[in-house]
Amino acid sequence: MTPPNRREKGLVRPYVVTDGRAHPTRNTFDLVTLVVAARDRPLGGLSPEKRRLMQLCMPGALSVAEVSGHLQLPVSVTKVLLGDLVDSGHIITRAPIPKAQLPDAQILQEVLDGLRARL
Amino acid sequence: MKSDIPAVAFWCLAAGALAVVVLLVRQQLITRALRARNATLEGRVKARDEEVRHLATVRLPALADAPHQPVLVPGLLDRRLAGTGFEQSLQDVMDLLAGVVDRAQVRADQSAKAALKASMRALQALANEQQMSISDMQDRHDNPDVLRDLLEIDHANSQFGRRAQAIAVLCGSWPGRQRASSPMTDVVRGAKSRIRDYRRVQVRTQVELAVVSRAVEPVVLAVAELLDNAARHSQPNTTVEVNLQPAHNGACIVIDDAGVGMDGPEVERATRVLSGQQVLDVTRLGDPPKFGFPVIGVLADRYGFTVSVDTRSPYGGVRAVVFLPSALLTQIETDDAYAAPPASVTPSEPAAGALPTRRPPSGAEEESLREGLRMPEPEPSHAQPQPDTEPEWLLGSTTGGLPKRRRRQPATTQPTSPPPAPAPAQGRSAEEIARRMGAFARGTRSGRATPDDDEGNPL
Repeated sequence: MTPPNRREKGLVRPYVVTDGRAHPTRNTFDLVTLVVAARDRPLGGLSPEKRRLMQLCMPGALSVAEVSGHLQLPVSVTKVLLGDLVDSGHIITRAPIPKAQLPDAQILQEVLDGLRARL
Repeated sequence: MKSDIPAVAFWCLAAGALAVVVLLVRQQLITRALRARNATLEGRVKARDEEVRHLATVRLPALADAPHQPVLVPGLLDRRLAGTGFEQSLQDVMDLLAGVVDRAQVRADQSAKAALKASMRALQALANEQQMSISDMQDRHDNPDVLRDLLEIDHANSQFGRRAQAIAVLCGSWPGRQRASSPMTDVVRGAKSRIRDYRRVQVRTQVELAVVSRAVEPVVLAVAELLDNAARHSQPNTTVEVNLQPAHNGACIVIDDAGVGMDGPEVERATRVLSGQQVLDVTRLGDPPKFGFPVIGVLADRYGFTVSVDTRSPYGGVRAVVFLPSALLTQIETDDAYAAPPASVTPSEPAAGALPTRRPPSGAEEESLREGLRMPEPEPSHAQPQPDTEPEWLLGSTTGGLPKRRRRQPATTQPTSPPPAPAPAQGRSAEEIARRMGAFARGTRSGRATPDDDEGNPL
């Protein structure tokens, strides 16, 4: 099933999205850098991709990889867009969160006990 | 008696002379009549000679040069021949030649079209294939230098694909790609993707309208040809401005350039070609062939939009207006709906474990994300479980009909009220479900009661 609001991939080529640039203005992004939208910035004047990026990031932090996945754009292209948005103050970056803990053994134990009690 | 003889002789002579005179006069009259007739006939023969020469040197070449346009062939040289059998014969010759020329023309046109179409379709397929591999490479490599090269290749490939596509369309082929309905802004930017000087094209306005699926590719192609013309016929330091305007029964794409503009006859010719009504001859597009307007004409006629270039732009160049009737437009869900859930959690303190909740991506997106990027699945964190009391762990369903699940639902927050059972299967009674749920709840309680060692493992 295709969501109705899925963008047609390949219609707007990446060089149009970045206006021909391939190098982000800053080299501070990697796949797991978290980006957060600054809420006080106006969205007018942004290109459609940047606007969508801002809308994606509005509810909370997202990693660069997630952003690029949602926008259906290559990661390197997303980084160019993010670089612009950081420069204009629309986006704030954060260091990636430390690796989360593994699933708690306690929960697994609870599940096991529950199953035991049932069977 | 003797005196009678001279008289008789005289009278005889007189009668003879009279007869001679009469004969002479008659002869004279006949001769004059014959001369006149001779002269007339000579004139006619000369006229016919002239007429045949006129036929051979003027009328037939005109006919051969301009098939499909019978009005432009010159008529008879000598009006006197009108209505005669001679004129009829000439007309027969003309008709015969016209038929032969037409047939030859049609045949040549068909074979040229067939050959061009076949080869262009092959090129088009190759260009599409190459575009897919370029897209894959762009996804795979995360290096700005590689990306820069890929963007250049991508750009060249898009132009190449457009040329092949345009010629194929001109030869009666379909535009080729089936696309989903797309916003008008994306359609214009898609067109922008396919021309050389795309950086000079500025799309000023955005409208909330979208182009229906079947018309996306033709409109992209037509707008790309217009943008290409606009960029090609203007100074490299000027911009080509695109405005989108909703209208009462459709929408317009207005393309203004600051170029040289077109004069009256050019505009007239362009209007004729753009109407798509003119029969198109692939073999007569000029040298170098001009594909742009004929392609737009064919597409406009086939898909029912109109293109006009008869106004001047405010910058002195051409203003091209593409009018899309309502039948080719649709409403599309905007991206505001896409990220609609109002963020109740402000991203103020994204410390470890207290990441703001966010909309779970729909299944397809998540899948593509994970496949494309090899992302590890975000681990649920339990360091600071959020006081999330709302029982709606099923957040409605996605557009694809799949249930939406909130991903980081801490398991420990609601120990005694287990989540509602997923849609019960047909064969299970309410008591059975209650029994199972109760058993699960008892199990979790007894599990928590078990003492742990310091590593969190049950003893």
